[in-house]
Amino acid sequence: MFKKILVPVAGTDADIETIKLACRLAKKDKGKVWAVSVVTIKRALPLNAEIESEIKKAEEILDKVEDSASEEDCEIETDVLQAREVGPAIVDEAVERGMSLILMGIAYKQRFGQFSLGEAVPYVLKNSPCPVILFQQ
Amino acid sequence: MTDNLPLRPGDKVFRPRRIKHIHLKRVLGVPALFSAGYGDVGSSIYYALGIVALVALGATPIALAAAGVIYIFNALTYAEGGAMIPEAGGSASFARHGFNNFVGFIAGWALMLSYIATMAISAYTIPPYLSYFWTALDNPAVNTLVAMGIIGFLMTINVLGVRESTRINIFFIMVDIATQITIVVLGIVLILSVDPSILITNMFGAGNWPSTTNLIQGIAIAALCFTGVETVSQLAEETKKPAERIPQAYILMIIVVLLLFAGISIVALSAMTPQVLGDPINGWARDPVAGIAANLPSETLQNIFKPLVAILAASILFTATNAGLLGISRLTYNLSSHKQIPEVFGKIHPRFRTPYIAITIFCGIAIFLLIPGFTNPDFFSDLGALYVFGSLLCFAFAHASILRLRATQPDLPRPFRLGWNIKVANRQFPVTAILGVLTTFGVWMVIVIKQPFSRWAGTAWMFGGILVYMLFKLITYYKNKSDKLKF
Repeated sequence: MFKKILVPVAGTDADIETIKLACRLAKKDKGKVWAVSVVTIKRALPLNAEIESEIKKAEEILDKVEDSASEEDCEIETDVLQAREVGPAIVDEAVERGMSLILMGIAYKQRFGQFSLGEAVPYVLKNSPCPVILFQQ
Repeated sequence: MTDNLPLRPGDKVFRPRRIKHIHLKRVLGVPALFSAGYGDVGSSIYYALGIVALVALGATPIALAAAGVIYIFNALTYAEGGAMIPEAGGSASFARHGFNNFVGFIAGWALMLSYIATMAISAYTIPPYLSYFWTALDNPAVNTLVAMGIIGFLMTINVLGVRESTRINIFFIMVDIATQITIVVLGIVLILSVDPSILITNMFGAGNWPSTTNLIQGIAIAALCFTGVETVSQLAEETKKPAERIPQAYILMIIVVLLLFAGISIVALSAMTPQVLGDPINGWARDPVAGIAANLPSETLQNIFKPLVAILAASILFTATNAGLLGISRLTYNLSSHKQIPEVFGKIHPRFRTPYIAITIFCGIAIFLLIPGFTNPDFFSDLGALYVFGSLLCFAFAHASILRLRATQPDLPRPFRLGWNIKVANRQFPVTAILGVLTTFGVWMVIVIKQPFSRWAGTAWMFGGILVYMLFKLITYYKNKSDKLKF
């Protein structure tokens, strides 16, 4: 059912567990997992601006994710995406690659004293071309 | 793998340092491109109409129509260039590919001047529109101070990197276009059709038709209305399917802009005399569209449209000021990453991740340009001419680069290829680009000859830039002890 699973990672505590869950789901259907880390670029810079510190951070996140996936003996590919906004980048990636599932790990966040999903998660839920599973640790 | 994805023209995959790929996510479509482009081109009607009327008097619609033809040449050239080279930088990128780094720098430096002037002039014309709500804003000194404050505010939020919503931009542009169409229709129905002779008198009546020199100057200044074509090209690298969508956005812009500008200029001259339209102190030169709203022949309509125009004009001009700022900061980064200007200009703030030095310097220059506004209320026509000086120079470079690329790299993939070509030495050159280079350069020469402020300020800017470039290259040469000094 879930042959191609997209897992956006952002360096939160939920990343590792989310990847492990994605690997288990993918293994059942002999599927594959794609993990992406999105580097957002402010509008004052061109989209291809290389911000070394951000790229390094994204790569470190993906390295950890790859390690977790290899522990699960799971086939995984990783990619750094540069975009203006996280939500549209994830949806576009899912459309472009024909994903069958987006699995997002979320951390507990508060905004103005209320639980908040942020902006990317609601955007993905609203615009995703495929089923979305949210995983909160 | 990203390698398995079919690459579209202009797609790039960066492979820095490590094994991971950076994949640029392009999400902009035609509505976002159009709204960004129209935000820049369309905003100019809110100030340019008055500046043109100041010089061209009753021939304002004729001057706008003539400049509109040049705009078509420009938009078509940018459509070919943007689809062929979908990267930030616009004419600077075309010139770098078409000629070399030095010519690319000159085009980019001219573009910077036009962005700085856009910021200054757009910010300066916001307060007169808002004076509907608070009349003190119409005072030249208060006007200038508020304009400086707007630039200072935008500088701060852009250094901090506050997000901007594309959807809100699209919404504002749609409301703005709807309002302009409504004003044009109401003006035609309630003013022009009631007594068409008013338009004839205001255009051709005694004292209303300009001298030939003023008409030519008016056409040159009218180019001000159409200088925003760079914006779409600057967004090429974040456009999905740029090969199709950039030309589509340009063609849509040509249609909408020409129709609306023709309508607005005709209605303006039906509603008031060219002298009133072009008077910066007691007339409507600084807020011409507000003048149309104030002259609608019904108090109810005036009460509806005066505040509506005030809010919309202020919002679209605010967006245009910000677009100028974003444009210049991206361009600066682009030039610095191609080693055309010192790297310090492209330095990114470690916390806010924005090019704070470029933003601060160029906002400072825009604020400096506004200083004469405290004492001279019609100095904004000089600013307009300076804007035209910079813009036309980069348009001329854009046309020349497209023509040169046709000669030197005829087989380069051109997803949007201009038609009507002349064949010379087995190469095809588009007629519109040839006419474009001739007309833009010709109009630029008119500005240089007729406008002392833009002649001296523009020339000083360009020579100052070339000096910085030469020094930068010399310092780099001695620092790195390269074998060959390359300009």
